Amino acid sequence: MKRQVEEFRANRSGQLLIVAALAIAVLVSSTTIYVYELSRDTNSSDRPPLNDFVLSLKQSARNVMISSLANVSNGGSSSVLATNLNTFSQLVASLHHLGTMSLDFTPLNDSTYDSGTYLSWNTSDTSDTGVSSAYVNFTLRVYGLEEDIDAAFAVNVTTTITISGSYATLLSGDKQVSLTCRVYNEDEPALAKNMTFFYENSGNWIQVDASNDLVIIDQGNGTYLVSFTVNIPSDTVPVSVRGYDSRNVFVLANTTCSGT
Amino acid sequence: MSRGNRGQVRIIEAFLAVLIIFSSLAASSSLTATQNRAKRDDLSAVGLQALMKLDSDGALGRLIDEGNWSRLRDAVDLAFPAGVSFNLTVYDEGIQQVNAVVVSNGGFNSQEVVFVEYACAGWGPVFHSYVIRLCLAVAA
Repeated sequence: MKRQVEEFRANRSGQLLIVAALAIAVLVSSTTIYVYELSRDTNSSDRPPLNDFVLSLKQSARNVMISSLANVSNGGSSSVLATNLNTFSQLVASLHHLGTMSLDFTPLNDSTYDSGTYLSWNTSDTSDTGVSSAYVNFTLRVYGLEEDIDAAFAVNVTTTITISGSYATLLSGDKQVSLTCRVYNEDEPALAKNMTFFYENSGNWIQVDASNDLVIIDQGNGTYLVSFTVNIPSDTVPVSVRGYDSRNVFVLANTTCSGT
Repeated sequence: MSRGNRGQVRIIEAFLAVLIIFSSLAASSSLTATQNRAKRDDLSAVGLQALMKLDSDGALGRLIDEGNWSRLRDAVDLAFPAGVSFNLTVYDEGIQQVNAVVVSNGGFNSQEVVFVEYACAGWGPVFHSYVIRLCLAVAA
């Protein structure tokens, strides 16, 4: 009996070896997978680098438009936008670390935008709103080492300023003008870098300065409360604000203040 | 089965056992390689996001326009978590190096170096664009 058991063991020892090897393999694999899953859970970012790169290119394209709009709103030609975007496109084509890429652009041309830019400074005295804007459609193609991306996106850069106000006549006969100015970047409240105010007297625009008791209260949320005094004979006070936002984009708006 | 064949079968069985264990080890090491790749991707994402954050208000382009390399180095250093080493090089539109000085926070002790490219455009009315090449490593 003992001999038969020994013979059985001897005959089956190879199969036992394979079963043991399988068991070890399962143990090694399951432990590794467990450790891998644990560490993967603790790694926060699952975003592939190509997506991050596309996001970074969108931001840079937006910066190109900000620079171009600052130029155009300060008197530059509207062709500056296309020129700058061309330069940037060539720069993007020189990036190769994630593959081959091309950035095509189409500046918006419609009833308001000309070559992708739109300046509405409405010099009529009743506009109350000034807009400097740029709008471009982009197509980004990335032929990546592992994947391709074909992304279309539009970038709109718009600085808006609104002005409203009225005046009260003082005992001295001077008119105290009170204004509320609001600055927006892409319809969100934004800070102004610099603002100058003018009033119209006998067809001439005169800059408001310290001699007009100029007070500007920055409320910190893109709203500016402005007051100054003027001595003009007319019943209304035409006022103009010319400002730069924090991106150096120039914008202008006019309003006419009536007495309260 | 004859006694002569039994020895050959044992050898084949032993080979099978070794094959099973080694294939399991090979599969495990490929998982580890994937994990290392994920770590590299994470580091490159950290690098790109740091540059994007610096560039969100035009500061990156302004510092390059001004040639203020020490402030640029400090700003990039602050944007990274502790223990990340970097070396930054700026090129102009003609891919000529712009920074005359090294913009880095120290040497690279790690073998895992990640390379990030970023296209930067300044906000100034006079347009300048740059390619920023950033090498990153986690200090060993």
